[in-house]
Amino acid sequence: MDATSRAPRLAVVGKGGAGKSVVAATLARLLARRGHRVLALDSDTLPGLSLSLGADVPDEPPLNAAAEQNEQGRWHLKRGIGPVRAVQRFSTEAPDGVRVLQIGKTDRRGLQPVRPSHNAFFQIIHRIDDAPSLRDWVILGDLPAGARQTAFNWAPYAQRFLLVVEPTWQSMLTARRIARIARTMREDADFSLVVNKVTAEDDAERVQEFLDIPLTAVVPADEGVRSAERAGVALLDHAPDSPVVDAIERLADTLDVASMQRS
Amino acid sequence: MKIVVAGKGGVGKTTVSGTLARALARTGHEVLALDADTNPMLGVSLGVGPEQTDLLVAVRQGLETGETEHERSTEGFVERFGRDAPDGVRLVVASRIEQANPGCMCCGVSPEGLLNELESDGKIIIGDLEAGIGTVLRLQEGQADVVVIVAQPTAKSLNVARRAVEMAADKSALTIVVANRVRDESDLAVIREAVGDDCEMVIVPDDAAIARADREGRAAIDVDPDSPGVRAIVGLADRLAAMAVPA
Repeated sequence: MDATSRAPRLAVVGKGGAGKSVVAATLARLLARRGHRVLALDSDTLPGLSLSLGADVPDEPPLNAAAEQNEQGRWHLKRGIGPVRAVQRFSTEAPDGVRVLQIGKTDRRGLQPVRPSHNAFFQIIHRIDDAPSLRDWVILGDLPAGARQTAFNWAPYAQRFLLVVEPTWQSMLTARRIARIARTMREDADFSLVVNKVTAEDDAERVQEFLDIPLTAVVPADEGVRSAERAGVALLDHAPDSPVVDAIERLADTLDVASMQRS
Repeated sequence: MKIVVAGKGGVGKTTVSGTLARALARTGHEVLALDADTNPMLGVSLGVGPEQTDLLVAVRQGLETGETEHERSTEGFVERFGRDAPDGVRLVVASRIEQANPGCMCCGVSPEGLLNELESDGKIIIGDLEAGIGTVLRLQEGQADVVVIVAQPTAKSLNVARRAVEMAADKSALTIVVANRVRDESDLAVIREAVGDDCEMVIVPDDAAIARADREGRAAIDVDPDSPGVRAIVGLADRLAAMAVPA
């Protein structure tokens, strides 16, 4: 691998319930099975990605131990902790060898228990591009519903935004707004479209025409996903033969294979 | 009476809010539908139309761009930035994230702030909250008369619903769980197990008419007012209308 090439760095975005976590988790595991080192970035305080990966949800955010407060009360990374150390020490393991770095989950105390890890996570993702030893890692961020994190620069690593969209107006309008905001944040980023829960023949075309973003995957509505989601388990473990897994395999194919070869 | 609607993203909060608002208006009540989601889509479910909904000016952004001289009363915001929706419902969008670095969403005019400040004063206010539990957490104690928590039979939605039910107990006198997209007894059983036996529950069956409304960007109550899902939400509206001060 030459000095400038790098493994894909994606942020998965869309409206709530569009299927972001299922797509992100399945894609992460399939890429890991192909031999890539995969880092999943979970910046949602809800456990969607963990459930879809089939990973445990830690009681306390592991990254809380990475941050400390200075005299002014501002949180910063502890001395000696950068993106590489953070991944080594504070990421957790998910099936197929995917590593997960997570912001931490809220409980009824609200955001307060995750405030250190919240800050640590934000600082780590802003320095992740500078870490040479992470260059050949696929980085896959699963952002919470809506445009909020995109607007506040929670995907500074993203070369590509993967918009997961259902063929409904609410989902399409949300995706259009996120794409508009992301374009102003990251002028060099690519956008690609995953049309999910497709039931009619012209669904994908309709969504693609509305958003005018290149279509990379058409994912059918599927009982396997419904039943995995009901059980709160990974689609890959619950219904490995689901046509949704096929569709996400093809999505994995379309990612730049050349740049993904390990050096 | 103040009603707020909460739940995980994509569970049907906005469909429930929009349909409730329309049905309550049909009982003769004055209804204010407050879109308290920074990704505001309530207009779609009220029947305002998708592109029209996308163009609505939110109170916060309207004030920021100086579209009007600052109107200090919350009622003034509603008057200035509200628009009419079918059946006489008044729709107000609190705040929309529409650009990069939009500034702290909790400072200035915030969805929760508007919701807390608005006085129902004889009308029914329905607040469609942002996805997740943060919004329920930020509600002031006793601010809502009814918290409606929408859940569907998926582990992720029930994770949110379970916690929202716990928090809602401090915020309002009555919590109602809407069990949405229920296909059979086992769907219902997983929802009941997650939220506990003490909660009042309204069952909204999985409904092709509601799915069609979502695809077409129309109000479910306009697509088919007699479909089982719409009828279940109208039933809830009738119960809430009876609780409210008569119009």
